[in-house]
Amino acid sequence: MLSQNYNLMQRIIGYLLLLLMVSCQKEKITIGTNVSETFYLNNASASMRLLVQGNTLSHTFLIIVHGGPGEGSFVYNTKYITYHIENKFAVVYWDQRDAGASQGNSNGNNLNLPQMTDDLKKVIELIKYRYGENSSVFILGHSFGGLLTSSFMTTGENQTMVKGWIMVDGSPNYPLNDTLTRQMLLRVGQQQIALNDHVNNWTPIINYCNAHPGNFTLAESNQLESYGADAETYISEVNQFNLLSAMEASSLIDFLPITAVLVNYLYSSDASFNAVLDKTQFSTLLYKIVTPTLLLYGEYDFICPKELGEEVYNRISTNDKKMVISPVSGHNFMFQDEVLFCNEVDNFIAKYR
Amino acid sequence: MNHRKFILSVMFLAFALFCFSQRDSPGRLSDSLNLKVSYNSSLIYPGARLGAEYSVKSFNVAKTKKSGKKKDFDKERFVSANLGWYHHPNFQDNMYLTGGWTMRRTHSKGFFTEFSPEIGLSRTFLGGTTYKVDNNGNVSVVKLAGYYYALLTVGGGVGYDYSKAKHKPFILFYKLNLLSMYPYNSTIYVRPAMEIGLIYKLRFIGNVKSKL
Repeated sequence: MLSQNYNLMQRIIGYLLLLLMVSCQKEKITIGTNVSETFYLNNASASMRLLVQGNTLSHTFLIIVHGGPGEGSFVYNTKYITYHIENKFAVVYWDQRDAGASQGNSNGNNLNLPQMTDDLKKVIELIKYRYGENSSVFILGHSFGGLLTSSFMTTGENQTMVKGWIMVDGSPNYPLNDTLTRQMLLRVGQQQIALNDHVNNWTPIINYCNAHPGNFTLAESNQLESYGADAETYISEVNQFNLLSAMEASSLIDFLPITAVLVNYLYSSDASFNAVLDKTQFSTLLYKIVTPTLLLYGEYDFICPKELGEEVYNRISTNDKKMVISPVSGHNFMFQDEVLFCNEVDNFIAKYR
Repeated sequence: MNHRKFILSVMFLAFALFCFSQRDSPGRLSDSLNLKVSYNSSLIYPGARLGAEYSVKSFNVAKTKKSGKKKDFDKERFVSANLGWYHHPNFQDNMYLTGGWTMRRTHSKGFFTEFSPEIGLSRTFLGGTTYKVDNNGNVSVVKLAGYYYALLTVGGGVGYDYSKAKHKPFILFYKLNLLSMYPYNSTIYVRPAMEIGLIYKLRFIGNVKSKL
């Protein structure tokens, strides 16, 4: 009798635990003007988090393709974007594989650009599955997301899946990117020294650029990027942006798994595929693009200089294209010039949805 | 997940562990067995932990310092089995089973410190519906989506043993644990957790009966 009771108890506990676990995974699709829902895409050994926020009733979705690799999408979910884009359209905050809240086991072999391009394609298919095939989808690539969206847009018939492509401080060509970063550091650095501004900061940067003229290794590339990040903080015209403060602000609202974000970032930013990315370019394939395109760059972006935007603008085949330069931004246009960013994105989506 | 479900699950698990401890040779086993139940929180995210610890070694240390001051404390060693769970909304539910070694040093007045490494297995459940999209664009829902991880925790804590001075059968404790899970996206996931809980000493049940 005691043994029977024990078995029954075991079974009840088992069922109860199962119920607790699966209750969080019950499918819920909300069509409304103020939606916030999280779901996951499982693809090639990674479960990638998707947070959809805003107006799903519009059936218009802006997918944020974050930078990094490995940075995660939490930081893009600012109050300003919530009040000025999500009120009109839905924004999809996608954590790429090995980034943000994405999860998995041993999946490092799948961390490469072709796989991530396939991930993005499946993200779009999933959005259309959940919210309707007639949904209008736009993709916005920031920084590394610019390279990833360039890969997506120039692969097969992928661009037919989206109504528009937005590039924010992005790079379609890493070797060219390094060259332009070095040139800009030298040019602006010499100007600043002539103005006697931050001389002690600019001198080692200029010395480094002079000592490393081209054909950059990954280490040189990383050093140039690091100097680029520092450089914009020496420019008084730039609205300074603190990434850590932004993460702190969004951490509780988004249930940010801080340690997961950190270990994913550390892994991805140091993963071997960065050496491959460093030699990757899509400039020669940009002619394929006939989709409406919006290019947003910071005047003082040393990491991805605005000439990269001009490269895209001049090479794509569509006539529906626009390039906007923010005079107060560095590498984070969406945070450093929020008003201009949201206005341009809203107008672009409204025009082509 | 609402609080009612959470409390119900804790109660069921506590009761099950209690039944288990009573099953085999209650007289002998319960002399060395303690049951643990705790609130297991990581920052603001709730959870629970249930376990049992079995005393394998216990001895008293009495020392007199050069100053003449006396030190008197008990050293105890336990093997333990624990079932933990936390709920991080939109991220994961994690259920983990561990076995560990606990080193506890209890002063004569009842205050104690402890350290315990544990190893085990974790099963996570993703914090949202999980989909799979095949190469033809067909979408399906993945049931019970989540991952298994090898888990290692180390923890240290403080507490008060009411059996020392007040002859009550329980211990209150506070403990900080560091969970690490592998392989998490080809790397190691670490997560701090905090426990506040109660340990019940089963040997007191026997004592009560004998008095009756």
